[in-house]
Amino acid sequence: MAELARRLPIPERLLPARPVLLVLVAACIFLTVGSSISTLFAQLTVAGVASGVVFGSLGLALVLIYRATEVINFAQGEMAMACVYFAYQLMLWGLSYWAAFFSTLAIAFVFGVVIQQVVIRPVQHRSVIAVVIVTVGLFILIDGLVEWKWGANQRFMPAPFGNQVYRLGGVPVARQQIGTIVIVLVCVLALWAFFRFTKVGLGMRAGALRPEAARLVGVRTNALLAVGWGLAAVLGAVAGLMTEPSQYVLSPTLMQPVLLYAFAAAVLGGLESPGGALVGGIALGVFLNLIGQYWTFVGSVLQLPVAFAALLLVLLVKPTGLFGHRSVRKV
Amino acid sequence: MGRKGRFVAALAALALVASVAASAAFGARAHRLDPGVTSTTIKIGGTFPLTGVASLYKVIPAAESAYFAYINAHGGVNGRKIDFTVLDDAYDPSKTVPLTQQLVEQDGIFADFGSLGTAPNLSIWGYLNQHKVPQVLIATGDSYWGFSAKKYPWTIGYQPDYPGEGKVYGKYIAANTPNAKIGVLYQNDAFGKNYFAGLRVGLGAKKGQIVASQSYDPTQTSLVQQILALKSAGADTLVIFALPSQAITAMVTATKVGWSPQIFLGNVSANPIFLQIAAQNGANVNGVISTGYLIDALNASQANLPGIKLMKSIISTYAPSLVPSMNGGDANVPYGLGAAWTFVYALQHAGKTPTRAGLMNALKSMHNVKDPFLYPGITLNTSAKDNFPTEQEILTKWSGGATGDFTAFGKLYNGVR
Amino acid sequence: MKRGLAGYVAVAACAVFFALLPFTLSDYHRGIAAQVALYLIAILGLNVLVGYTGQISIGHSAFMAIGGYTTALMSHYHHTNLVATLPLAFAITFVCGVLLGLPALRLSGVYLALATFALAVSVPQLPLKFSKFTGGSAGISANRIVGNTWLYEVAWSAAAVAFVFTWLLLRGRIGRAFRAVRDSEVAATSSGVTLAIYKTLAFGVSAALAGVAGSLFVLATNGFAQPNEFSVTLSLKILIGAAVAGLGSLWGVVIGAAFIALLPTISASAPLIGSTHGQDVVFGAFVILVMLLLPNGVAGLLLRLSRLRARA
Repeated sequence: MAELARRLPIPERLLPARPVLLVLVAACIFLTVGSSISTLFAQLTVAGVASGVVFGSLGLALVLIYRATEVINFAQGEMAMACVYFAYQLMLWGLSYWAAFFSTLAIAFVFGVVIQQVVIRPVQHRSVIAVVIVTVGLFILIDGLVEWKWGANQRFMPAPFGNQVYRLGGVPVARQQIGTIVIVLVCVLALWAFFRFTKVGLGMRAGALRPEAARLVGVRTNALLAVGWGLAAVLGAVAGLMTEPSQYVLSPTLMQPVLLYAFAAAVLGGLESPGGALVGGIALGVFLNLIGQYWTFVGSVLQLPVAFAALLLVLLVKPTGLFGHRSVRKV
Repeated sequence: MGRKGRFVAALAALALVASVAASAAFGARAHRLDPGVTSTTIKIGGTFPLTGVASLYKVIPAAESAYFAYINAHGGVNGRKIDFTVLDDAYDPSKTVPLTQQLVEQDGIFADFGSLGTAPNLSIWGYLNQHKVPQVLIATGDSYWGFSAKKYPWTIGYQPDYPGEGKVYGKYIAANTPNAKIGVLYQNDAFGKNYFAGLRVGLGAKKGQIVASQSYDPTQTSLVQQILALKSAGADTLVIFALPSQAITAMVTATKVGWSPQIFLGNVSANPIFLQIAAQNGANVNGVISTGYLIDALNASQANLPGIKLMKSIISTYAPSLVPSMNGGDANVPYGLGAAWTFVYALQHAGKTPTRAGLMNALKSMHNVKDPFLYPGITLNTSAKDNFPTEQEILTKWSGGATGDFTAFGKLYNGVR
Repeated sequence: MKRGLAGYVAVAACAVFFALLPFTLSDYHRGIAAQVALYLIAILGLNVLVGYTGQISIGHSAFMAIGGYTTALMSHYHHTNLVATLPLAFAITFVCGVLLGLPALRLSGVYLALATFALAVSVPQLPLKFSKFTGGSAGISANRIVGNTWLYEVAWSAAAVAFVFTWLLLRGRIGRAFRAVRDSEVAATSSGVTLAIYKTLAFGVSAALAGVAGSLFVLATNGFAQPNEFSVTLSLKILIGAAVAGLGSLWGVVIGAAFIALLPTISASAPLIGSTHGQDVVFGAFVILVMLLLPNGVAGLLLRLSRLRARA
């Protein structure tokens, strides 16, 4: 493994460029000061972080696939939704919540690998647009299959974290919000460790950054791509399973709004950067809550347009996202 | 038995021959039959969301079909069986249009019955009226249908409309808790806004008691911001005009941010199953106030109503798959039965050989008609000037937490529109 | 030269076919055929952008919404002749397309896809915000409902004009510049093609065609414009149609349009899965199968067939 790492110089870049870092630090200070002044502000921030980590984890799934195959998987949200239905079915069969949770993650991995091998691999070398359209087809297909099997009406799952509400310095925080944040962070850390400390993970990073070199040193790129899709599906499943308890209702449209925000989070952070997606998601979650509250013209109707306008602005200033760095354009 | 059966069959055959001969003899008369009507059948159809976001409502056409099957098994209407075609538009107006054209032009329906949703119905409103096809007892609570009867004489709704229901809450609050500080959560479209407008009218001089209002967009994944804003404005009364998923989220979120206001919940989301789910997720739903106008299978005090008995026998015979929904208190079951009942009533009063004009006339001249599937005391009333069939509602209050139900209280509110 | 002649013959045959077709169809089927025409125009528009300049867009439902609302609003408030709203929609969406094309110059590939996606998601929210003028979620309708025969004639005439317009545009200097941009931006620049002009021009033309398609879309739904009709799924549908038709060639567009206009209706009656839930399953499976089996869409298939014949 060390041998591989030595032969494939992989840049370690955890932190974004300095100006971006300054902006992020300023934002953190702003949020902390605001929270200490107003309880409402603090509650909005906490709730924003809780929904933001979910956007971030689905965004992270998008990033994983983007790094591996340079495409955006439009079916990521629907794959996650299908996984939540798997968990739902397992619970109907009598599994406890957490047993179903972890079984679903395993199923999700297989699900991702199978999808990559069966429908993505044949079109992978063709064009970005071909893969995008296949994922759009998958979107429709998965939606149809889930509706066929389980119907489109609302289903309900047990709450994984209970209904307690804690008070942190006068700010009510639901145990469910804390649970969501912790679960997502644990998953992201596990993923990071996987990429950092395992041979497969290292190979995947190499495959993404230097595909030619990786192939030369004997990395089996095809198998690694499949693993990438599997891991993305797992992350998506986590996002889905954490979305359901925050909405209390399971239906086939569960992940469609989340996917919108996950796209935005991934682009905001920079599609190359896993950490960026998470930070982007949290920023988006908090931003949406705060403008909804303090900018009344926007209200609920214009939240989506304003969020995307802000995103567009970020892209125009920094076309590769907050954490991304410019790559050399191929001729 | 066998001989008797043969005899009946022979009689039927004779009748058929006779009717064919008759229709041949009076060929000119047969030509004057309105589209969709034959000597033995009446063809009707409607568009419903069998799939997609609103597919929860697919129970309604199923209950309607069950009622028509029941009527057909009992001889039909003046000897004609009702042939009801249900098409799936997935709540998407751009699908409603071609499907309705298919019903009118390919299938040759007599009337478009019960089609569901405001936007889908708006998209075929002009078309059906232009072709003089009745668009009747449509499942939407907007007030367009009632107020535009002059311009669109072929359209009529069924249920009490949203502004009227909002008015009921307003009147109740103004009379019982005049000092309430009201916070309103509503969906940011015509549905939510019309409800909200009705609430303001009902409050009258007490309109100023609304201390805050927040709208949500269906694409939002959380309602924490809205609920916190209403709470921090000092509201002690929360009025929710939302679709079921968001209503559940709103009630649970209110409890989780440490707020327990008096909740008023629009009828659209007041299906018992949604409150039970909200309660299981920690919401304090006891005391939630809503309105009703239908019979309720869950409610023990109504068990002896003829409507309940009829509903149970029809559903268990003709739509056994709906039995769990019915027993769970799903209001869509009595809703579908009630709308179908009203349609059959109108057909019976549309002349021996029903015409489209006769059907509309029957629907627009109902006086104290007792639909057995409506809450006792509520009757259907229409006239040339009044195009709103159901205009009465009763307030209901939730008790019993996660296994509870709504119970009616107080007097009937009239003039709901 | 010979291939050009064959092209003219094919176009003429198509024109005769579609001119005679309404006499054999029922009124209901004329309505469906008109849908094919409007999707054809939208696919043409998307193809100009994606197939010829290599810029991806998932935002064309937004342009269709702008075109559709132009027709509904002009007819509703000013009683404008419905046919006259089509060129108006063309002009307005052309300007919108150019305006979007300017920031799009800084974006490419996936980032452009997501930016246009954002547009598709955002535009349907605007009628909700300005509901006094646009009717909000209840929508707004044109002052007249058109019959299916009228719709068929107007839609297919518009489709013919759009096709000839696009064909002429793409076979000339502008088309060569577009393709140069697609194949290599650096090479195009060095051979004197001003990237900014051609990229925004492509965006404008593409959006304008989508706008006309949107107008027809509204006319086909009884003149009723409503935000939900123009969701991002409409964009995806057109993208699917364009891919089925084959990108970078115009000869498959009819098939692509028929694919997205007819397949959902046909698949509703698919055996096995039943009539209610089968639509999405069959449609989705078909999309994937077509992408796996026909790499360059129908146009690619036609090309392969013609090569086979040439060899034989």
